[in-house]
Amino acid sequence: MAIVQLENVKKVYSLGKAEVQAVRGVSFSIEKGDFASIVGPSGSGKSTILNLIGCIDQPTEGTVIINGTATEGLKDKALTNLRHQTLGFIFQSFNLIPVLNVYENIEFPLLLGKNKMSKKETREWIEYLVEAVGLKDHIIHKSNELSGGQRQRVAIARALVTKPEIVLADEPTANLDSKTGQSILELMKKMNADLNTTFIFSTHDTSIMDIADHVVRLLDGLVVEDTKAKVKVGS
Amino acid sequence: MSMTLKVASRNIFRQKKRTFLLAGAIAFGMLVITLINAFTGGLVENIRENIADIFGGHVFITGTEYPEGGQIVRRMKPDDRLDELLAEHAPFISSHTKRSEAYATFIFGSKRTVDTVYGVDFVEENKLLESLVVSKGSFDRVAELNNAIIVTETVGQRLGVEPGETILVKLDTITGQQNVGEFQVEAFVKDQDMFGMSSAYAHRAYLNELLGLDTHEFQNLYLTIHDLSQAEAVARDFRVGLRSDDEIEEEEVEVSVSVAGMPISPQDKKEPIQPWEGTRYRVMGINEIMEPIEQVVGVLDKIALVVFLILLFVTMVGITNTFRMIMIERTREIGTMRAFGMHKKQVKRIFLWEATLVSLLGVVTGLVLSGVLVFILSRIGITKDPAMQMFLTEGRLSFVISKGSLVVNTVLVVVISLIAAYWPAKAAAKLSPMKALGSHT
Ligand SMILES: Nc1ncnc2c1ncn2[C@@H]1O[C@H](COP(=O)(O)OP(=O)(O)O)[C@@H](O)[C@H]1O
Ligand SMILES: [Mg+2]
Repeated sequence: MAIVQLENVKKVYSLGKAEVQAVRGVSFSIEKGDFASIVGPSGSGKSTILNLIGCIDQPTEGTVIINGTATEGLKDKALTNLRHQTLGFIFQSFNLIPVLNVYENIEFPLLLGKNKMSKKETREWIEYLVEAVGLKDHIIHKSNELSGGQRQRVAIARALVTKPEIVLADEPTANLDSKTGQSILELMKKMNADLNTTFIFSTHDTSIMDIADHVVRLLDGLVVEDTKAKVKVGS
Repeated sequence: MSMTLKVASRNIFRQKKRTFLLAGAIAFGMLVITLINAFTGGLVENIRENIADIFGGHVFITGTEYPEGGQIVRRMKPDDRLDELLAEHAPFISSHTKRSEAYATFIFGSKRTVDTVYGVDFVEENKLLESLVVSKGSFDRVAELNNAIIVTETVGQRLGVEPGETILVKLDTITGQQNVGEFQVEAFVKDQDMFGMSSAYAHRAYLNELLGLDTHEFQNLYLTIHDLSQAEAVARDFRVGLRSDDEIEEEEVEVSVSVAGMPISPQDKKEPIQPWEGTRYRVMGINEIMEPIEQVVGVLDKIALVVFLILLFVTMVGITNTFRMIMIERTREIGTMRAFGMHKKQVKRIFLWEATLVSLLGVVTGLVLSGVLVFILSRIGITKDPAMQMFLTEGRLSFVISKGSLVVNTVLVVVISLIAAYWPAKAAAKLSPMKALGSHT
């Protein structure tokens, strides 16, 4: 089952009088449980596509279907709810909320809407995530007391806390050294396997795309390769 | 605690200096208005408390007669209705005095001066002499000497008279004839010169003789009330109880109608006054006496409010600018929260909570500082000058903080802060979740 489906998606940005065709007619789909990578050089449209999938931007043309819902014509409120219910985000610059500690940062998305879990379940779930990302000893630290790698681990836990169908990560390793970046990807892969959450991450670094079981390669706003591994790693 | 309130309460400690400046400005405004309000409130309260000492009572009753074919005279005869009212209200009344009064010219040799003379019953008003401070002479023979007079120091000096000497007092009788009487000066007392209300005291029986009144008649009845809060009620009872059947009920209206603190009297109708039978009473309560004072205080409070509003306006500009800055600083953070599913109105709410918390912090700080200052100021002795005592309590300032104006001022501060933060809050809510992306940290 396709959890993400793009059909002939185009995105045009207007810069004053000039128009920039960031995405020029892209179609592909991502299956549930995929560990997908969108690869391409800088400016090829990776972020634009992730923004479209992440419901924080709307296509100029074409259809984006997320977990069965077409985002076309949805109002901000509906898009916000869709993001909250279906999506988790990991950012290049981590983007932790500085006034909140590790536990609170992870908990934060749960506070934005109705939480179906009981208080006890919630606490156990967050504690599970904290442990899974290896930050048990940093639970009350603020983000400025953590290294980049640790911050991104918190971000992974935060992205998963609402048990979303899809986690989007736009260049999650770009601000990390290659060793830390590798471990972050491995952690994401592990969570993908453990929780069967769909992960889509972008990178301009072709050397780290091997970990993905589904690779969409972009060039100048067009898909130039869409490869799925025959046998999924870990399944 | 709601998520928005939680985040907001953390946020205000992010830039402590900024919060300190904003809250400090609000605290200062709150301090100014609270102190001035408390000071004027204390002033009014002190004047109310002291008014009996100055005016000789809390409820003032005068009577006028206008017999057919005669003229209007101020005169009260012993009256059963009055005595009944006095008896009924005895538990509320600590004392009452029946006086006659004349605005008289005092003459000694070639010198003359003017002052009010009260005709008092020194036996009935046994506390009067205690309350006066002798500066020359003595009260020893006042009781037995029926033409004794007690004058103020100032009058004594103007006339160049000494205790024991005799002066002439020229006055108008109640019907307007001139009359002269001889009085023997027994003592000088310190001036209680309050709003120019100095006065001399003589025996009522003797003054009545000169005024053309009978021995037991009088012109003013002053009541002193135990509990000041009862004074108006007592005044009302007397007003109703003493009203004669043919009187229209205009007095009630006249007393209490005011618009924005300015009393308005229905004095448009200028019908010629018709004579009436018997005595017509006019009863004044403390509120009527306080009216001009409260008007002055009202003006002071209004000035304070204007200053407060100016301070608030300046603070408002500061708040708007600060929150605009905050919005720019937190663009990425707001984008992140929006990406995770925070609604626009929740973003707005965080900003508005922050504004509320900062302003409340300022309000509380301002109130605590006011409390401390009031505590210190009310313990400093200001002056023992008798003329100033009306405004003081035992020589010290006293402050009355009105809960009503506290609430109003607090609400004002919070509302203005919310208005000031509203536009930046709205702008923050409009930020796209896309702002979470990008490579800048
Ligand atoms: N908000 C925008 N306004 C105008 N042009 C944009 C905007 N975002 C992206 N672009 C342009 O769209 C193209 C694709 O950008 P992007 O999706 O960020 O690529 P990538 O993430 O692969 O580097 C680039 O040429 C970029 O300059
Ligand atoms: Mg990008």
